[in-house]
Amino acid sequence: MKEDIFFVSKDGTKFTYHKLMEDINNSSQLYRCCYNPDTFSIFIQIITSIVYGTNLVLLDYDFTDKELNSLGIDKNELISYEYINNREVIDFRDIINKIETNKDWTLTLFTSGTTGLPKRVTHSINNLTRFVRISDKHKYDIWGFAYNPTHIAGIQVFFQALLNRNTIIDLFNLNKNEVYKRIEEYQITNISATPTFYRMLMPIDKYYPSIRRITSGGERFDVNLSENLLRIFPNAKLRNIYASTEAGSVLESTNDHFRITNPQICKIEHNKLYIHNSLIGLEDNSNYWYDTGDLVEIIDENTGEFVFISRDNDVINVGGYNANPSEIEEAICKHPSIAEARVWGKPNPVIGNILIADVVCKCSCTEKELREYLRSMLQDYKIPRIINFTTEIEKTRSGKIKRKLL
Amino acid sequence: MINILKDIINNVRENNGMSPLENISENMDLRADFGFDSLDLAELTVKIEKETGIDIFADSLVNTVGEILEKISK
Repeated sequence: MKEDIFFVSKDGTKFTYHKLMEDINNSSQLYRCCYNPDTFSIFIQIITSIVYGTNLVLLDYDFTDKELNSLGIDKNELISYEYINNREVIDFRDIINKIETNKDWTLTLFTSGTTGLPKRVTHSINNLTRFVRISDKHKYDIWGFAYNPTHIAGIQVFFQALLNRNTIIDLFNLNKNEVYKRIEEYQITNISATPTFYRMLMPIDKYYPSIRRITSGGERFDVNLSENLLRIFPNAKLRNIYASTEAGSVLESTNDHFRITNPQICKIEHNKLYIHNSLIGLEDNSNYWYDTGDLVEIIDENTGEFVFISRDNDVINVGGYNANPSEIEEAICKHPSIAEARVWGKPNPVIGNILIADVVCKCSCTEKELREYLRSMLQDYKIPRIINFTTEIEKTRSGKIKRKLL
Repeated sequence: MINILKDIINNVRENNGMSPLENISENMDLRADFGFDSLDLAELTVKIEKETGIDIFADSLVNTVGEILEKISK
């Protein structure tokens, strides 16, 4: 009989499904916010909150105090919990039943807004499991877990694996050698990750036959990369997903061309993709069609095939994470030596776009000093990696910072 | 050339709260030996390009210091 492993953590600790159920049964406190550095504990908290039908707010553990503040979350909320007991999970079927029946349960996540303030997005269980496929075919899938567990893509992989009672091997933030070691050691069959994650696995002159499915999402698809991936993983089928924090997975394809197969949930108007509100997190229901801000180009009028070309707002995709330049500029300008700042994204072969800050100083300041300061204000991926000290930043006629056009 | 590269690598390390390295050698691995993640590698490419005019990851990523030196000495 195969070992009933649910999760293998970065340090190699194996947690069985039995242990998962034991931990849920032994939980005596149910937190409303999940603010935890440990992936297994995050999974326990999610499942426990479903079992008890209590909504959960999921936070990145690297949010700074300033970021938590701007999300409207105070420290007391992070430690507030209710006591729980006596709701035994008898077997795995029990967990599945709760997931299937607790339709009112919601999970709240955060994403960079387009206006400067981070946005709260609340999903129902239906939304989070919409793309989950459960069948005998998936019974023996072994998942390489490469997304942040507090982000929607990670949550979707978690549900796909859990509902098929699969094993999840943690690969998130591991370096290249460790990832390959784990693929081989645990015979991983499925990986879902950003193009940046896959790029970091290059170059390599070995191949790994255990991988059967490679899913790419969170950033623009990289055609050269896909050829390399199929060489390294010769038995894999490749899938490209278009998804967003607001809607989860929306479209899929085997390359960078997409087609709308269900016009009830997606449409293109004026070369922009809109998603029907039935797919959108609960707190965004005011508009009937949600404006994704993603601009497309129709490749074939007959088939409706299109590709994503750019965005119509300022959000910059950094290795699959959305960064809002206004939020970063505001943080930079809080430094006492800085008078003005402009943040922009420069195309980069590793992470898609690298953040660059042009700054005007009031008094002397070094790059190292400024970046150290920003580390106390912002998550790592939001900190500009290149700081250009300059004497002037171009303004529009109304006095706003002129956004850099690339 | 290796000294210029060492300065750039140390600049990236120090900017990200890591200590500078006394020496680097050709067989050192950017990820395993320097602890560089994707953001650090991205920063490295821009800084090397600024210094040498060469985008070291234009075709594909590389693993070691030696591979970078090969690209920038062409």
